[in-house]
Amino acid sequence: MIAKPGLLQPQKQIGWATWATFIIAALFVWSLIAIEFSPGRMIQVPGQIARVLSFFYPADMAYGWNAVLPAIIESIQIAWVGTIIAAILSLPLALFGARTLFPRVARFVKLISATARAFPEILLAIYFVPIVGLGAFAGALAIGISSVGMLTKLGAEVVESIDFGPVEAVEASGGSRILALRYAVVPQVLPEIVAHWLFRFELNIRASAVLGVVGAGGVGGVLLNTLRYRHFEKAAAVLLLTIIVVLIIDMVSGEIRRKIIRG
Amino acid sequence: MSAAPPKPARNWPLLIGTLGFLVAMTWWSGHGIGFSLSELLCNLTGGQRLLRESWPPDFAFLPRLYGPFMETIYIAIIGTVVGGILAIPVAVLAARNLTLGKVVWFADRNFMNILRTLPDLFWAMMFAAAVGFGPVAGALALSVFTIAVISKLWSESLEAIDMGMPEAVRAVGGTWLQMIQFGAIPQGLQHYVSYALYAFELNVRASMVLGLVGAGGIGMILETQRANFEYERVTMIILAVLVAVLIIEQISESIRKRLA
Repeated sequence: MIAKPGLLQPQKQIGWATWATFIIAALFVWSLIAIEFSPGRMIQVPGQIARVLSFFYPADMAYGWNAVLPAIIESIQIAWVGTIIAAILSLPLALFGARTLFPRVARFVKLISATARAFPEILLAIYFVPIVGLGAFAGALAIGISSVGMLTKLGAEVVESIDFGPVEAVEASGGSRILALRYAVVPQVLPEIVAHWLFRFELNIRASAVLGVVGAGGVGGVLLNTLRYRHFEKAAAVLLLTIIVVLIIDMVSGEIRRKIIRG
Repeated sequence: MSAAPPKPARNWPLLIGTLGFLVAMTWWSGHGIGFSLSELLCNLTGGQRLLRESWPPDFAFLPRLYGPFMETIYIAIIGTVVGGILAIPVAVLAARNLTLGKVVWFADRNFMNILRTLPDLFWAMMFAAAVGFGPVAGALALSVFTIAVISKLWSESLEAIDMGMPEAVRAVGGTWLQMIQFGAIPQGLQHYVSYALYAFELNVRASMVLGLVGAGGIGMILETQRANFEYERVTMIILAVLVAVLIIEQISESIRKRLA
């Protein structure tokens, strides 16, 4: 049949999109049933959330300045030391992880980095806490080790994208591979790699904020305790200060990253 | 013989200032958290004992992980679906070219940024306090986390769409909703699906640890075994989690690559 020209419409077909939607909807309903999230329960939830939220006001700011702020500062310190550890370890790994420079070693380095990336920092902290004791030091080690993976991967990608001219120039004038790294590779990649460090620092602030949950220092433990004893005004102070501090750090760090990349 | 070319001038004040700041910040932080290499080396012997206790993993424990593990997957599915649907309006209103006006855009942007400042476990703690311990709290926490992830990424790709189609819908008298539905969303759909899968990967990973604060899933078993120092079981749980996460990520990644 030939359609009238004015009414020509794209042929509707039951394609993969319909099937995918159907499957996802089925999985969703099945999951709801499996965790026993009944319609009756569903109706209660907004009320429960509203009730607890009403306890959040007013925030106990005296507690905020005396107890929360020091814990947030500790979280920042954990994130900073963790990022420094990761930066120091990942810089050489990123160079040796570049396929274009060291084809044989690179595969091995990438395997290490993929393994390190698989561990969430909080699981690493579970091991570091008994080793070095409760507290911030364990947190910094966990953050450091788990950041190495991502920084190595991103760094290696930066190194792989460099202009090879300077490397060849150094080697043509008799320089060794190591000298080429120092004078031709590092200057090209450093700005972008430093930008990645800063970005990772922003992520690590959030990561270190939760480490307190397993006793690795920082503001997470404070939030867990205030909520456990249902001191909601104190919890409100934790949330408020965390949001403000993280927003400020994100802004400053983001601005520096843009400056570095623009040169 | 010609002289060597002059070295590029350095901005010494900036260089020294930056280095000084880095050193000071590192010293202050290291001091603040009690960083000491000697303690680390000394404690490594204690660590050896822990490592010996945590190896080999307790394979007999594996069957008991099945139920909690499935709960983790359910939480991740619910969180991704609920958050994924709620993220659509948040992302559309945060896209400069599609939003309903400067005020709405500004409010939505800030809402999005504030959602992103709090880590997933903070949401989990709050929801656990509000609706009680269990998977419902975890699912709610991941919904919020998913909104934050998808809306941020998708609003950026919506800003890059070809405005011809939405304008055409407007020109033939379509409402704002029709413009979004027929002009904008079809163009952004592929990105949306790929971000939703990415959010699902993050959610599976996150839902493994939600139980540490009582928000359901396999993390709850992990927390009890950790508190009892049953480290050969802790290792078993973590290994199982890692293998499962890697498999799910591989599947999701291969779907995403096919979409791209």
